[in-house]
Amino acid sequence: MADTPTLSLEQLRGDLATFLANPYPTYSEMRDQSPEQMEFIPGGIVPGLDEPIKAWALMKYNDVYSALRDHDTFSSARNPFVEKGFFPQLVLIMDDPPRHTRFRRLVNKAFTLRRVESLEPWITSVANELLDEVGSEETDIVQSYTIPLPVKVIARLMGIPGDDFTIFKRWSDTFISSLISIPLEERMQNTMEMAEYFGKIAAARRTRGAEDLITALVEAEIDGESLQDWEILGFCILLLIAGNETTTNLVGNMLNILIDRPELWRRLREDRNLVEPVIEETLRYESPVQQLQRTTTRDVTISGVTIPANDLVAVFFGAANRDPKEFPNADEFRLDRDLRNHVSFGAGIHYCLGAPLARAEAKITLNAFLDRFPVIEHGRTPALRQTQSPVVFGFERLPLVLRAKGH
Amino acid sequence: MRLVIDYKKCLKSGQCSYLHSELITAGADGTPRVIIEQIEEHLRDAAEDAVDLCPSGAIALREDVEK
Repeated sequence: MADTPTLSLEQLRGDLATFLANPYPTYSEMRDQSPEQMEFIPGGIVPGLDEPIKAWALMKYNDVYSALRDHDTFSSARNPFVEKGFFPQLVLIMDDPPRHTRFRRLVNKAFTLRRVESLEPWITSVANELLDEVGSEETDIVQSYTIPLPVKVIARLMGIPGDDFTIFKRWSDTFISSLISIPLEERMQNTMEMAEYFGKIAAARRTRGAEDLITALVEAEIDGESLQDWEILGFCILLLIAGNETTTNLVGNMLNILIDRPELWRRLREDRNLVEPVIEETLRYESPVQQLQRTTTRDVTISGVTIPANDLVAVFFGAANRDPKEFPNADEFRLDRDLRNHVSFGAGIHYCLGAPLARAEAKITLNAFLDRFPVIEHGRTPALRQTQSPVVFGFERLPLVLRAKGH
Repeated sequence: MRLVIDYKKCLKSGQCSYLHSELITAGADGTPRVIIEQIEEHLRDAAEDAVDLCPSGAIALREDVEK
């Protein structure tokens, strides 16, 4: 093993933004020699984390897929960021069986394909209302569309007012998109605000139920016991985080890919059978979630390298999805490949609960844009990738010019 | 009723074999396999749940026309 891992973040310290804006060249350099332990979060970069955090980077498709499916060896419940008080303990995503199993059974019903299909007409009307406001001048589609759409959808599912979406965005930033720039005190403050907000709504639903997820949570019993307040809060935070930023980034990445491929846009307008393949290939090509972490429960050998027990492992979905051994010509966006094998929603027990919802929002968006706009183009203001979160991949700003029919 | 998997739709998410291991198992490469095809009355709820929770809509309960 090389003395200096290629992705020493110490080395990247000045260049972290470059890596986060486009991690793919680094993955290409690192993939063959992975797994390798790297300085995952250098000390002092993230407010509140003074000590560096090391992690083993998994970047080969087979390594990533195997680790995701082996939840006994790769635990989600043990998380150094939570242990350091840096992050709240979220339910599901930071649970192992048997707790995970009970929770997953409880909330699955709210996110099934069938339930999502029943919401599609409503989601379509929200999408169209947002697009009615956009106009034909240059617009930052992140602000005018890709942020508000998923926030409004998840708010409705949870049963909270969708108009509060600017607050949700700020809270969501606390955990994802401003992870690096928000001071610890502000993060704590935001977490307290969220606790208070959802605590009030949960209390109201206990008094009078409604047709929403928070009511389902307060009324739910697992093995004869009601959920505790912190569990309900943990789930609300999870939905807010996992359900918004990720979909925002999927939709933004997809639109950006299509702006640069006007021929494909014309084909799509004529053949909507291509909509779903475009979404799946977008997921593979620019995965909205680039990596999540696990902790080993025992010594485990992966691609000939033994990772000791109790070590942090960074599972790079983004790198697996560009592994040329699994996806020939992996760095090309192509619809003529097997589109089912990407790991952008994970695999195994933690497979994204919201996958059907994310796919529906992307499909509805793409169809609405295709119906309205013969051509989509970049604006004059340059697009800007987010560089604040080591987890997600997407745009902070994506100016578009959308010309409707007849303009 | 017969429990069937449409492998053209299956994304190998692993949810069926995780939450309904009494009905479906997964191979080393993640491909699921139905272990109890004929669904008797006492397994009906479990089978319907397995159909419902598949994120790719790849599982179905079919009327057994052969009988």
